[in-house]
Amino acid sequence: MLRHIGAPTFAKLLNATRITANASCNKTVSLTAPMSHLLVRQQQTMPVVDTNNSLPKKGYSPFGTKQSSMAEWSLARLDDLLNWGRKGSIWPLTFGLACCAVEMMHIAAPRYDMDRYGVVFRASPRQADVIIVAGTLTNKMAPALRKVYDQMPEPRWVISMGSCANGGGYYHYSYSVVRGCDRIIPVDIYVPGCPPTAEALMYGVLQLQKKVKRMKTLQMWYRK
Amino acid sequence: MTKFLGINRLGRLFQAIREAGGLKQAYLKLYRNDDLKTGTLIGIDKYGNKYFENPYYFYGRNRWVEFATHVNMDYDGSQIPAEWFGWMHYKTDLPPIRDGCRPKYKWIADHSENLSGTKEAYAPYSTTPQKIEAWDPKKK
Repeated sequence: MLRHIGAPTFAKLLNATRITANASCNKTVSLTAPMSHLLVRQQQTMPVVDTNNSLPKKGYSPFGTKQSSMAEWSLARLDDLLNWGRKGSIWPLTFGLACCAVEMMHIAAPRYDMDRYGVVFRASPRQADVIIVAGTLTNKMAPALRKVYDQMPEPRWVISMGSCANGGGYYHYSYSVVRGCDRIIPVDIYVPGCPPTAEALMYGVLQLQKKVKRMKTLQMWYRK
Repeated sequence: MTKFLGINRLGRLFQAIREAGGLKQAYLKLYRNDDLKTGTLIGIDKYGNKYFENPYYFYGRNRWVEFATHVNMDYDGSQIPAEWFGWMHYKTDLPPIRDGCRPKYKWIADHSENLSGTKEAYAPYSTTPQKIEAWDPKKK
């Protein structure tokens, strides 16, 4: 796509965006360099496995094992243990607002069977770890959502499910709809789709597990 | 009688352990994949993922993937490349190694996994000015 944009236009666009904290503009690119070099899409691909060169096996921990001191190392291991426990029992609170809730019911059904990941629906916010906002968040429902979220114990996460919860979706220009539930509560995982399939929501839950695995609860406490 | 008691399934379990290569390997496989199944190896893609099939199991569980060993526990559904996606999702019964009529263009990009949550995650260009101005330590 970028190939079709003329070089001056692209340079202007790049200059306009360079000042912002844009992740893809972090490396300073000299614009005098040949444009073709710049316009090649930066894409990280997966490593190819050959029979003669085997890749080193990744460790379990996302923190690695090369901490600077013994205390940090043991805190990293404790964090691993804590995160292993947390990611293995993510209990969602059902917050079905619209048709997405039907797909949310499907992941509890035998075909997708969320119970095998330790994901069990709870009806009380005080017992839940994650709230799945499934459906259109209306202005009338917004204070209720905030109240329910505030009742959840820490650590808590939010999965925003479907276009309507992500950003208003079909009802973005409606007078009575919140344009995305992230205007009310902080969202961890956005699941796209209208509605997303049960498989997509399942994948979102697995992504949340990955995110939980990276949490540095004790390490941050020690650093402070 | 053996069928009633389920002894024939016990044989299947022993077969699975034998195919995994011993009790320890079977345990490790069970730990990593949450499942211990026997099946025929359909193919291996260039990223090292192995694809298996066994029609004995119920539809939906009769095709499965064992992800490359180097990713260890960090496997993800998006590590399955596009060629094998269709076979895994029952769009086609022909795996890409036996399907001769798949298009092969030189502009087809190499597969990349979902990079959400990593430093390489995609962020689109933003043309709107930032609400917060970041502090630049070099500027006096």
